[in-house]
Amino acid sequence: MDMGPTLAVRLNAVALYAIAALLLVAFYWQFAYDELPCPLCLLQRVAFAALAVGPVLTVRYGPKPLHYGLVIVAALLGASVAGRQVLLHVMPGDEGFGSALLGYHFYTWAFIAFAAAIFAAGVMLMFNGQFAHADAPASGRFEAGAVWLVVALTLLNAFSAFAECGFSACPGNPVHYELFR
Amino acid sequence: MEFFIAFFNFALAMWLAWCHRSTLALYVFFAGMLYATAIFLRHAVNPLPLSF
Repeated sequence: MDMGPTLAVRLNAVALYAIAALLLVAFYWQFAYDELPCPLCLLQRVAFAALAVGPVLTVRYGPKPLHYGLVIVAALLGASVAGRQVLLHVMPGDEGFGSALLGYHFYTWAFIAFAAAIFAAGVMLMFNGQFAHADAPASGRFEAGAVWLVVALTLLNAFSAFAECGFSACPGNPVHYELFR
Repeated sequence: MEFFIAFFNFALAMWLAWCHRSTLALYVFFAGMLYATAIFLRHAVNPLPLSF
């Protein structure tokens, strides 16, 4: 069994939609429950944005091992940040930072997501057939929509982070938007 | 401002990739990774509860 470039590009677009969904859930919690993200939480969102660069390159140029390498590098940074935040709240009695979703805090979910991204990139690298074609397969609205959705959400996160932190360094436990004080 | 730059950096990398500027997109990606690592080191100052 092998995988062609068209299916590989489609799967990369699905990964972009998954990243967009993660960023949307984080945004929903930020605005609906007024839970401002901490610096490490923001850094995990940055790593999710970095995670999207590899799939965007795959959608545009077709699958290449380099693009999956970018995913692994970005996911390692994200897993390091999320892992550190898990370790900060690992002691018994510590209620953790922010609210929990389905029993896990968001940084724990982020760690699982980054580990899953490394696993997925590793699995994708096993299918050599996708790399045999030099030309990029044609991408349609599904793929283009995924790219622009992630780009738009990354820019929205940029402006949200600017509103939260203002021109100075982000506070460790933010409770209000510095730009609107 | 530090996180605005980091998010903007990766949005720029994606946009460059979409505009067929793959080499430039790669440079921007790696610059962003270095920058994000620097922010991580700057904010990872609290001792971990299980540190010796």
